[in-house]
Amino acid sequence: MLHSRRLILAHFWLAFAGFGVALILGEWQMFIRSPLSAWIGNPEWYYRSVTAHGTAMAYVFPTLVAMGFGYAITEAALKRPLIGGNWAWAGFALVAAGTVTAVIPVSLGLASVLYTFYPPMIGSPFYYIGVVLVVAGSWIWVALMSVNLYTWKRANPDTPVPLAMFANVAGSYLWAWTAVGAAIELLFQILPAALGLTTTIDAGLARVFFSWTLHAIVYFWLMPTYIAYYTIIPRAIGGRLFSDPMARISFALFLVVAMPIGVHHLFADPQVGAGFKFMHSVFTALVALPTLLTVFTICASVEIAGRLRGGKGVFGWITALPWRNPMMLAVTFSFVMLGFGGAGGLINMSYQLDASIHNTQWITGHFHLIFGGAIVIMYFAIAYDLWPHLTGKALDSFRMMRIQLWSWFVGMIVLTFPWHYVGILGMPRRMAFYDYTDPAIAPQAVSVIASVIGGAILVVSGALFVAVLVRGHMAVRVEPGEYRFSVAAHQPARVPAALNGFGLWVSLMLALTVINYGFPIVHLMSLRNTSVPVVWIGAPR
Amino acid sequence: MSSERLFSLRNRWFATAAGVTALIAVASATVGFVWLPLLQPTAGFAGLWDAICSAAGLVRAVPVAEPVVQANYKTTNVNLSSKVPGNSSAISIGRGATLAMQCTMCHGARGLSEADSPNLAGQYALAIFKQLQDYKSGARISAIMGPRVVTLTDQDMHDLAAYYAYLPRLPAYHPATARPTPRIVESGAPMRNIAPCASCHGSIDYKGGSPWLEGESPVYLMTQLNAFASGARHNDISQQMRNIARGMSPAEIEAAALYYASQP
Amino acid sequence: MTYDPGHITGAMVAARIERRWTAISIGIIALLIVMAAYAGIHQAVMPQPRVETADPRTLHIAGEFIESNLGSAVEPDGSVTVRAVGQQYSFTPQCIVVPADTPITIRATSADVVHGFLIEHSNVNTMLVPGYISTIATRFATPSERVMPCHEFCGAGHEGMWGRIKVIDKATFMKLAADRRRMTCVAQ
Repeated sequence: MLHSRRLILAHFWLAFAGFGVALILGEWQMFIRSPLSAWIGNPEWYYRSVTAHGTAMAYVFPTLVAMGFGYAITEAALKRPLIGGNWAWAGFALVAAGTVTAVIPVSLGLASVLYTFYPPMIGSPFYYIGVVLVVAGSWIWVALMSVNLYTWKRANPDTPVPLAMFANVAGSYLWAWTAVGAAIELLFQILPAALGLTTTIDAGLARVFFSWTLHAIVYFWLMPTYIAYYTIIPRAIGGRLFSDPMARISFALFLVVAMPIGVHHLFADPQVGAGFKFMHSVFTALVALPTLLTVFTICASVEIAGRLRGGKGVFGWITALPWRNPMMLAVTFSFVMLGFGGAGGLINMSYQLDASIHNTQWITGHFHLIFGGAIVIMYFAIAYDLWPHLTGKALDSFRMMRIQLWSWFVGMIVLTFPWHYVGILGMPRRMAFYDYTDPAIAPQAVSVIASVIGGAILVVSGALFVAVLVRGHMAVRVEPGEYRFSVAAHQPARVPAALNGFGLWVSLMLALTVINYGFPIVHLMSLRNTSVPVVWIGAPR
Repeated sequence: MSSERLFSLRNRWFATAAGVTALIAVASATVGFVWLPLLQPTAGFAGLWDAICSAAGLVRAVPVAEPVVQANYKTTNVNLSSKVPGNSSAISIGRGATLAMQCTMCHGARGLSEADSPNLAGQYALAIFKQLQDYKSGARISAIMGPRVVTLTDQDMHDLAAYYAYLPRLPAYHPATARPTPRIVESGAPMRNIAPCASCHGSIDYKGGSPWLEGESPVYLMTQLNAFASGARHNDISQQMRNIARGMSPAEIEAAALYYASQP
Repeated sequence: MTYDPGHITGAMVAARIERRWTAISIGIIALLIVMAAYAGIHQAVMPQPRVETADPRTLHIAGEFIESNLGSAVEPDGSVTVRAVGQQYSFTPQCIVVPADTPITIRATSADVVHGFLIEHSNVNTMLVPGYISTIATRFATPSERVMPCHEFCGAGHEGMWGRIKVIDKATFMKLAADRRRMTCVAQ
C-alpha cells in the first residue's frame, strides 16, 4: 500500500512532461541538421535547443524518476509511510522551481552553453542557479532515503534491509557524491564568473570537476533500471530472483567504482597526466563487473520463470516465457540495447580505441543507446508497473504498451546505429548544420537521414507512452493490492553486515575519490597561470 | 547482524574489499606512472622521477628545439583581456570628445562619416581601442591614420574609445532600403571555414574586440575584406579574420558589405 | 523452509554457478585491461606524455604560437612539428600540410574557449583547452586530403569551424620546406 501517491505521481508527471518536451526538441534537432532540411537561419536556435534538451533529459527527467521511484520503494519495501513527506514536497518544489529558473534564460538564448556548461563560455547566472536548485532538491531526497532507512533499521535490527531499499539508498548515495563535482564547478567557478565577481576561470580544472559528475551520473540514471531488473522483473514475469546477495554486491560495486573513473572522459584533454588517465581506465573496466553480474543474475532469474512456466531443455525455457507481458518485452529490449551500448562503451573506455571516436557522433549515439534506450525503456516499465498502485485504477492497455515498447526499441536502434557509424567516419558533434554537398562528408548524409526516421519513431512511441498513462487515469477503479517486489529463490534470513549497510562501500568510494582525483584537483588548483578570460554567451550586443 | 564488526581486518568483507581495491590501485598506478611512461622512448624523459612527475600531470616545459620564426611584418600586440577599457567615466568621455575634434573631418561631427571612412558612433570601445593601438604599433597600416595616432597615449585611446562608444548609434549616412540577410552573414560557408558573420559581429552573438558593422560604408567594408583576404591587412589576432575573408568569393564579399551597409 | 535439505543444496549449487560466472567476468575484465596496457606498450595512440601550459591572452604576442611560427616545421631529426591555434571559429593555419610517412608531432592550444581537434579518418583527435597545450604524435601513411573539424561546441559559429589537412609526398614536402621555414597550404 503506497501512502504518498500524490507525491510520487507529481514526480513522475513532471518528469514525463519534461521528457516529452525534450524528446520533441531532440527530433527537431535531428531534422534541422539533416539533409532533409534547409540550413537553419540562425544557428543559435539549434544550440539553444540542444541546451534545453540536454538539461531536461540529463538533470530533470532521470532525477525526478529516481526520486519518485525512491519514495515508492521506501513505502513499499519498508511497509510504512514515508517519514518527512513535507520535506519531500519541498524537494519537489525546488526541482520544479529550478527547472523553470533554468528554462527561461535558455529559451531566451541567454545560456546556450549546453548542459555540460563548457566554461570559459559563460551564460546567464539564472541558468546555473536553476541547475543548482534541481540538485539541491534531489539532495533532500537523498537525506530522506537515509533517514527512512536508518529509522527502519533501528526498529528492525535483526532483519535484512529489503533488497529494493538497499539498492535505492545505494543509488541515492551515489548521486549525492556524484553531484558534488558539478556542484563545486558551479558554485566556486562558474557562478562567481556568471555573477561578475571573477573574470577568469580555469577551464581545465572545471573539466576535471565536471568529469567527476559526468560519468557517475549515468550510473545514477541507471539505478532505477537496475532496481527494476532485480526487484520488479522476476516478480512480474512469474519467476524468482536468482540471488539476493549477488544483487547487493552489484549495487555496492556501483557505489564504489562508478564515480572515481570520470577521467576517461578526459583521455584527450591536455591538463591531466597520462598516469591518472591509465588508472581511471583500469577502474572504468571494473565498472563492467557489476553489469556482467547483473546480466547473469537476471538471465538466470528469467530462466527460472521460463522453467516454472513449463519450459524444458536448453532453450525451451525461452519460448515458454510470457512474451506478451510488457515487462518481459521491456527487459529483453533493455538487455539488447545494454549489450550493444556496453560493447560500444568498452571502446570508449580503452585509452587507444577512444582516439578514433572521441567526441564524435559515436559518443552521442552511445549514450542515447544506453540512456535513451536501455535505461529509459525500463523507466517506462517502472511506470507501467506502478501506475495502478498510484492511481487505484486499472492499467490494461496491454496492446498499446507492447506497441509502445516495440516502437521505442526499433526507433532507438534506427536512431543510434547510423549515429555510431557516422561517428566512426569522424562526424563532429553539436553543429547546427552540415554542408552535405561537400564530398568529404557527403557519405554521412544517408545515415543522418536514417537517424531522423529513428527519432520520428521515438516521438510516436513517447506519445503512446503518455497516452497509456493518461488512459490509466481514466480506467475503472481497481484494488491493486500490496505492491510487492521479487522474492529470491533462496531468500536469505541474514546477510553479512557489509551487505546490510553502506559504511564499507561509502568509505571505499571516498578513498578511491581521494586516490584518483585528489592529486589532479589539488595540482590544477595550485597552478597560478591557467585561469583564462571568461567568454560571454548571449552577451548584450 | 548488528553485532558484527565491519571495520576490522578480521571481517572478511572488509579485508577483501579494502585489500582488492588497494591492490588494483597500486598495480594500476605502477603501470600507469612507471612502466608505460618508461616504455615511451619518444617522450624523452630525463629519468624515472621525471617520468613519474609527468605522468602525474605536473606542468613540464618541453625543451625548445628550434627558434621561433618571427614575422617580417608587424602583428598586433594588443592583449584584449588586459586592456579592456575600465568604467567609462564622464571625465573620460569628455576628454575623448575633445580629442575627437581632430577626427571629425573623416568620421563626422557625431561619429557618423560622410565619406567612406567608418562610422564610430556607438562602436564598441574595445574595437576602437584595439584599432588605435594597431595603427600606432604599425600592425595596421594607413597613410591617413598612422600619422594621427603617433602622439596618442593609452589613456587618450581609452578616452576616444569611451567617447565614441557613448555616442548614440544614429541611422548612418549610407542607409539604403534594408536588404534580406544573405546566406554568408547568417550561415557562413562551413566547409570553407566561414562561420556566420553574425556569430561574432552581433545579432547572433558577439565576440569581444570585433566591431559593430551595421550602417558602415559598403566601400569601406569591401576594401577591408579584400585587404584581409590578400593579407595586406593583418592586424587580426592569429589570422582570425584573414581565415574568413580568404575563403569568401567576390560575390559574397559584396553581398555581406551591401547587407551591413543597408542595416540601420 | 530453511531446514529443507533440497533448498540448502539448491542454494549451494546456485552459489557455485554464481562464483564461476564471477570468475569469468573478472577474467574478461582482466583481459581488457591487459589489452589496453599491451596496446600502450606497442605504441598505439597514447595520451600526451606531459602537461604544458600557455596563456591564451598572449599567444599572438610572443612564444611558439605567434602567427609566423604556426604551421609545419622540419626538425633536425627529420620529424615534423605542426603548431596550430584554435579560436572562434577557425584553426590557424586553416590548412595544414604534412609529409606522408614521417613522424609528426602536433602542438596546439586554444586562444579562447574549449575546441576539439579532429582529423577525419585518422586517430588524431584531441581537445584544445585554453591555458594548456595539447600534443599528439602521429604519422600518415599515404598522401591524402582530409577535413579537420572542431568537434566541441565553441559558440554560435561552431558549425563553421572546419579546417583541412593535406598529406603530400615526402620528397615534395622537403623540397618546399627548403625555402620556407614554416609550411601551410593556406592559399595566399
